[in-house]
Amino acid sequence: MEQAIDILEAAGVDCRQLKEPSRKLFFFTPDRQIRMILVKPNDVPTYVEYGIADMGIVGKDTLLEEERLLYEMLDLKFGRCKLVVAGFPEKRDVWITHSHTRVATKYPNIARNYFLHKGKSVEIIKLNGSVELGPLTGLSDVIVDIVESGRTLKENGLVILEEICSVSARLVVNRVSLKMKNREIKALIDDIQRVVEERENGKVN
Amino acid sequence: MLGKLKLRLPEGVQDYLPDECYNKREIEDTIRRFFYLSGYNEIETPIIEFFDVFAGVKPSIEQEQMFKLIDPEGRILVLRPDITMPIARVVGTKMANDPLPLRLFYLGNVYRYGNFQAGKQREVAQAGMELLGVSDPEADAEVVAMAIQLFLELGLKEFQIDIGQVEFFKGLIEEAGLVQEEVEEIRSLIDHKNMLALEMFLKKLPISEQIKDTLYRLPQLYGDSQILEDAMKISRNPKCRAALENIYQVYGILKDYGFDRFVTFDLGMVHSFNFYTGIIFRGITRELGYPICGGGRYDRLVSEFGRDLPATGFAVGIKRLLIALERQGKLKQVPGVDVLVVAQDGQRREAYHLMQRLKRQNMRVEMFLPVDSSITPLDYARQRCIPKVVEFKVNAEVIEYEIGIE
Repeated sequence: MEQAIDILEAAGVDCRQLKEPSRKLFFFTPDRQIRMILVKPNDVPTYVEYGIADMGIVGKDTLLEEERLLYEMLDLKFGRCKLVVAGFPEKRDVWITHSHTRVATKYPNIARNYFLHKGKSVEIIKLNGSVELGPLTGLSDVIVDIVESGRTLKENGLVILEEICSVSARLVVNRVSLKMKNREIKALIDDIQRVVEERENGKVN
Repeated sequence: MLGKLKLRLPEGVQDYLPDECYNKREIEDTIRRFFYLSGYNEIETPIIEFFDVFAGVKPSIEQEQMFKLIDPEGRILVLRPDITMPIARVVGTKMANDPLPLRLFYLGNVYRYGNFQAGKQREVAQAGMELLGVSDPEADAEVVAMAIQLFLELGLKEFQIDIGQVEFFKGLIEEAGLVQEEVEEIRSLIDHKNMLALEMFLKKLPISEQIKDTLYRLPQLYGDSQILEDAMKISRNPKCRAALENIYQVYGILKDYGFDRFVTFDLGMVHSFNFYTGIIFRGITRELGYPICGGGRYDRLVSEFGRDLPATGFAVGIKRLLIALERQGKLKQVPGVDVLVVAQDGQRREAYHLMQRLKRQNMRVEMFLPVDSSITPLDYARQRCIPKVVEFKVNAEVIEYEIGIE
């Protein structure tokens, strides 16, 4: 969230209201040209698909899970992590041939698609948090989750068994808004892209 | 637990209560009249069809999306997920000898599971038209112009028709010689305007830099007619150039009709490209985050039903129109009854004659049938905003009252 605000401000969007402590859900830029709403990550694709929000910032993991009809226009390059299959190291060789694997995850769609693609039949167990508990308690054989540093996995004695894909924050745009409000939206996308590229280059140099 | 669902509706379907139903019917009447006056004939096909009708060579609707039934012989039936394919079936069979061009239209429900549209409706009221037998750009322009004219007839404001051409994309991938999985990946990335992933994916492919560059720019090729010029500059492939020429021709005709101000372009519009074979388009409006209509050219479909015919058409979602028009303040309440008729003992015959006469004059009439005996006809009329009451008295006297309604 801080990083999203940071990029928006660098792109010239005044986010002062957002940074003030409050319980408000709606925020405006001082010129009232842009209205911002704070929603749960899983709800970002929904708001944007319905066109309630023209644009949204959300993790690639959520986009993969929700499978909404959206334009995914920029990689904002923050919030980087990996979607992985993880489990106990001793299962590294065994679980692959296991005919019925139980998978605990916050991402049932991603997990289902991933294993379907691999031709493996699995039982998906949807959890809402602390997915690592799955293998620890015996609820599941493995988990599908995002991993940033891998520390949580390590502390629980789990290792990455397979990498599914890389994840980072993305800028998504409603399909109609991009066309009907093209001038305003395109300008903002270009500004944000410039900021992201500058930062990326800054890191390299 | 029998009967526990008695008071409920299955997911994805709705009741249309009087006010919404009235507006739906008004819209459908406008559409029917407009298509009819434009020389199109209405056609009706059954809601139930064989699954095979929709399971084409390269099916454009996934089988998971279809409602299925089994007939007594064990064959699979579906609730039609689309009406274009049944029309192709009719044109290829029962109308196989009808002279061309064929202009047909329909109004009806289609059924799909899944995320068919943002509202997740499973029963979707559609209206659409098909122009069969003409491959010239005039036919494509006629269909796009019909969509524009229809929205104008309906009083829709601030809408746009976004035009693409799938052959442009097909020309590129043919030249590149990619396998099906690669094509699908690229198509999906372009359709999502996902530039970064597209760049990464293209980088790995052993295809010419020139094709890579054009594919990479495809998601950005949207906007006014300037993008057609941009696309022309970077296209050497004859199929791509022909696709652009085709858009130019259609655009030229739309200009003649004075409709160019409603038109934008997007060469990165590459959905359903197994089905479409040329110009494709979507209608959008500021009020709605998803398209209200869609269509395009599908020259290969009808041949699957035994008659090789070029064809183009579009369908519009009635519920989406209702929502867009409501947000633009264009919906109405059901008009009230014009005259309340009260017949006292022995006067029924005279009263009923009057009602018949008024109906012939296009007035809405209602017989006074009080549920609560204490209510007077005048109070009832006031409550229901009925401006006129005619009372047939026992002594054959007829009294008319005008009700003041604020």
